[in-house]
Parts: sequence; structure tokens; C-alpha cells
Amino acid sequence: VIRPFGESALLVEVEGPDRAQAIAAKIAARPIEGVVEVVPGLRSVLVEIEPGGSGVGLRDAIEARMATAGEHAPVGRERTVPVVYGGEHGPDLDAVAALCGLTPREVIEAHTGTGVRVLFGGFAPGFAYLGELPASLRVARLATPRVRTPAGSVAIADAMTGVYPAELPGGWRVIGRTPLAMFDPRRDPPAYLVAGDVVRFHEIDASEWEAHSVIAADW
Amino acid sequence: VTIEVVDPGPLASVQDPIGRPGWRRFGVPVGGAADAWSARLANRLAGNPDETALIEVTLGGASFRVDVAGMVAVAGGLAATIGGRPTPRGAGIRLTAGSVLRLEPSDGVRGYLAVNGGIAVETVMRSASTDLRSGFGGHEGRALRSGDRLAVGPASGTPARWTGTREAGPIRVVEGPHPSALAALVSGEWTVGAEADRAGVRLDGPVLSGSDAVASMGLPLGAIQVPPDGRPIVMLADRPVTGGYPVPACVIRADVGRVAQIRPGDAVRFEMVSPDEAAAEWRAAEDALDAVEPLGQMADDEELGWIGSHR
Repeated sequence: VIRPFGESALLVEVEGPDRAQAIAAKIAARPIEGVVEVVPGLRSVLVEIEPGGSGVGLRDAIEARMATAGEHAPVGRERTVPVVYGGEHGPDLDAVAALCGLTPREVIEAHTGTGVRVLFGGFAPGFAYLGELPASLRVARLATPRVRTPAGSVAIADAMTGVYPAELPGGWRVIGRTPLAMFDPRRDPPAYLVAGDVVRFHEIDASEWEAHSVIAADW
Repeated sequence: VTIEVVDPGPLASVQDPIGRPGWRRFGVPVGGAADAWSARLANRLAGNPDETALIEVTLGGASFRVDVAGMVAVAGGLAATIGGRPTPRGAGIRLTAGSVLRLEPSDGVRGYLAVNGGIAVETVMRSASTDLRSGFGGHEGRALRSGDRLAVGPASGTPARWTGTREAGPIRVVEGPHPSALAALVSGEWTVGAEADRAGVRLDGPVLSGSDAVASMGLPLGAIQVPPDGRPIVMLADRPVTGGYPVPACVIRADVGRVAQIRPGDAVRFEMVSPDEAAAEWRAAEDALDAVEPLGQMADDEELGWIGSHR
């Protein structure tokens, strides 16, 4: 379904993030005249034109790209994110374990045990929505969001996980923290994790924190 | 040429009218001047291209000093004075070396101080705008402080005077993708709440219903989100890239800057228009912006000469 979103944008509603990324990639490869930005979301692609632009032919141009975009997002790079789990770095680990009927150790094993993909970017600079988490690890967000979640916090909510790129308010449950920077406005791309990347979390000991450089060697 | 921040007031920052579109897939907000139309007007009055970096001042009580004589302009919801004397609105202002320009509270929230030549800061991700939340761009990635000195680019262009008018009626909206609360939104009487910043303006009024979360999606400028508490938020320049709440309506692009000028506690009324009408209103706002004429020598003598002699 394609519907207007304000006078200078269309919202393309799709089944999921893979299809959204596939369409965004196709539009990037075959640009549409007058389109200023394309923003893929969880189940949508926002296509914006200049204000005052006519948008004539825009819907047809998008549909033409949708017809050949396929269902799969371009595959990105392999990323490893070191995480100190629990304790002061992961204040919600024990609560998550209790909610899931697991031990804290089992939560860590479930979180590190499977690769997750960057589904889309949003929320804040450098934030990547990662998924899907194994069914054993799905918890609702905090009823009352934290006013401050430290930079590097690794958190989960529903079927997704992510890393807070900066100190931010947030309602996801924090199970650990990484020393890696997720955002650097002086790099291109400015985000370490971009759509399509496959991310594995790797447990480190708190004593190893300093040994990990802030900027990943493979940015 | 440098401009010194004598007092930034509650919040002042370097912005440009464009922001940084093109980076949203990395989570980076568009940002830029909250009232881009007024920022562009200030630039035109100062003799700058529209997209030039300038200073966005919030609520007033801010003052600035130039080290050598130069042309500046102020537009938007604040008034400018020099040595306590008002300056003519809607025209470039010639400042003498060392004189102090103050931006005072007036009928809006944000004033734009443009300096001929533009505020010269290093661009980050192709924009001079300050991302205040993430701390990059603009001047050292932060709000301006007393004592900051900002470099000004080389003088260029012709200062101008503006003879246009800006729409002053209800805030026009078009239907959004989740219209269940649309009728209640448009018929409601609203006031701008205390939670109003560059990211968005929360409205106080009737509590809207039907606000189940939706899948996180990109949010255009002016989208009106209704979170579970039923209190709508108009999304402005620094809005997050994505949002997960229903959007019953979007403020038309011609009126988004006007929303950024409504003071907390002031009333807001909405009026539904069609997408075609929204596009026509955009063109009307552009035409109003085009109603500028070069400041001639006469004007310089009659209206501006005294400013330089003061202080």
C-alpha cells in the first residue's frame, strides 16, 4: 500500500524490514527525479520529495522499483560487538532472566549465540535496530523508560536488540554494555552498524574493557 | 570579521535553513533552523544565499557584538535593538564596529540573526547546523555560550528590505496515514504545552483516543504523532528519524515554521486542507519570501544611518 504522508512524502507500507531495505536500495540504485530522501522503517519506506514538488509520476516510479526490488535486503558486513554483561553495565540482566525463565548465564548465551541483522536505523544517530532475537529472549519494554541510558548500553525489547550510541532516554532493558563507539559524525558512513550488517555479540570481562579500542578497526 | 556572543539567552545555536537531509538511514535527524522560512528571510535581508549558516536565538535576552562594521539582519519571532533602540523590522541592519545587537522577546519563540557572509563553521555531514542532542556540527557541537567568537565568511551580496506578509491564520494540516483521530484533532482547541523544543511541540487540549503503536516508520517534518497518552506532538526539525505512534495529520510544509514560533501557553487551531491546497500555500509562502528589494542608498541614509552613530 502506498499512501500520502503529508503533502510532500509517500509512505510505502510493506511486509517487513527486508522488503523495506530492498526497495530503498533499488531507489538508491535507480534514483527518482525529485526525491530528496528515502527512509526505510520496520514495515515501511518513507519517500520524500521537495516541498512544493508536484509528485506527479512518483507513485508509478516507486511501483516500478518495487516490482524489481525483490524481497531481500543487500547483505552487509560481519560485525562483532564486545559486551560486558550484567552488573553495573547490565542492570536489567537479572530481571530479564526472571521474565524469560532463564538464568542470567542462559540469557547471555542466547544473546551471543545467534547473529542478528541490522533491520533499519533510527531513534538516534548510530542506533541500529537489530533482530530478530530468539523466541526465548523476548521481553516487553520497561513500563517506565529510563531518563538516561549510558552510551554503549546493549538492550533488548520484544524481538529486537540494539546499542545506545549515546547517553539517551530509553525504555529497552539493558543487559550489558560495549566499549565500542556506534556513531562518529566525521566518518562515512557515520554509523558503525548499517542496514544489512550481520552482528554477533561477544562476551568480554569487565577487566578487558580498556583493551578494546573505542573505534572498531573494521569501521 | 567575527561576531562575539555577549549573552546567548536561554538557547542559541548555529543552524542553517536546510539541515542535513540524506543521513536519516543512519539515525541522523535532519535538524536545521526550526523556522526555516524565517531563517531564509534573515539571510536574504543580510544579502546571503538562502542556505547560509546563521544564529538561531530562542525566546530573546541574547546579545551579540561584531568586531568590525558589517551588515546583519534579524527575522522570525524576536525583535532586535541596538543600545535599547528598536531597529526597523524586515530590513538589513548596518552595525558599526563594536556595537551590540540584542534580540528581545516579541511575538514568537525564535529569532534568526544572519550576518552578511554567513557564520563560518566547519561543516559536518555537509551541514553547518548544530545537532544539540548528539553534540556535533555548528560551533563545537554545542549551544553558544557567552564569550564564543564566531568567524564570518567573506562579505557578498546585497542587503535587502522585505515588503511581504506572513500567513497568520490557523495552522493548516493535511490528512495523515492514520486518520482515526483526525476529526478530534482538527476540531480541538489546543495550546502549546511546556514541552516544546526543536524536536517537537506537545499540545495540551482534549485527550485523543485510538493510539495503538504502529511499526516504527520515517517521520516527515510536521507529522503530528499521537502517543498512548493521547496528547499530540507536532514533530519539528530535530525530530527523531523514526516514530512508532499514529499520525492522524501533518502540518503543511508552509506552516511548520509557524508552529515553531508559537509560545508555550498560546492557542493553536488547525484547519484541514487538501494536498493541492498545501502545495499552493507553499508557493504562496515562497512568493512572500520573494518580496524583497535591495536596500538602496536612500534607505541606508534615512533608516540606517543613525544606527551606526549610536554607541
